[in-house]
Amino acid sequence: MKIHVYAGLKDYFQPEFEIVGVARNTDELKGLLLAINDKAETILSSCRFAVEEGFIDNQFKLNENDTIVIIPPSSGG
Amino acid sequence: MTPSSSFHRAAGGKSVAGGRGTEDGERVAEGKGIAEGRSVAGRERAVGAGSVAGSALRAEPIDMAGMLAGAHHPGAGAVVLFSGEVRNSNRGRAVAFLEYEVYAPLAERMVEEILAAAKEKWALHIALAQHRTGRVEVGDTAVVVITASVHRGEAYAANRYIIDRIKHEAPIWKCEHYADGSHEWGNNCNCHAVTGDPAKHIYESDH
Repeated sequence: MKIHVYAGLKDYFQPEFEIVGVARNTDELKGLLLAINDKAETILSSCRFAVEEGFIDNQFKLNENDTIVIIPPSSGG
Repeated sequence: MTPSSSFHRAAGGKSVAGGRGTEDGERVAEGKGIAEGRSVAGRERAVGAGSVAGSALRAEPIDMAGMLAGAHHPGAGAVVLFSGEVRNSNRGRAVAFLEYEVYAPLAERMVEEILAAAKEKWALHIALAQHRTGRVEVGDTAVVVITASVHRGEAYAANRYIIDRIKHEAPIWKCEHYADGSHEWGNNCNCHAVTGDPAKHIYESDH
């Protein structure tokens, strides 16, 4: 699974990386990400996830070939 | 609270015409956005009857005067322009410049959807928005929203609604670069601390 992160998440992860293991949903993905850096727990709890340019929630079934974008809270304007 | 959005993918993962759809096969999130990080200056397309909007994201300075010049409509008795500008301090610290990062494909479509929602809600003649990407200097314009309606009340309300939703929802992030050389991703939407859901927001315009 390919992961893209933005903004403050880049303080915890590389902007783009591939994750080892398969997460079936966003909760499992959070677990895999915390295994990489457990200091990201707070910011991950405030993030949204997107696949193919659409937001997803934990009910969405992730595939191993998905590119998942992790979106921290916005701060535009 | 959170208006209905067309940017959420339903569970299932059924492939529809190259994309993923809802469980009943209905396609969500039609179309693709622009390539990430690419300037979209100059590209125009209709947002709705009676208005034409430029693309929402710009890597170059926003032509505020040009936007306003194109925001007149014979049926509109009121035009409201909001300009969000980069100030020289943040929480007592001297700011050197800002840098905006954006997930362009989604941000572009979200702004378009927000504008369309505002047009419908307030029967606007015109709704436009542009947001800068990349480095923006102190005193420069970071975002512009223009609304035009029959009377001023609708134009003011719609303008506030649009900027609120852009700030809370669109995947755009501001990095403050301070005069002392440090930087900080900041002023994030913190609604989830109250709503318990990163997808649910509380807007200033609701109060």
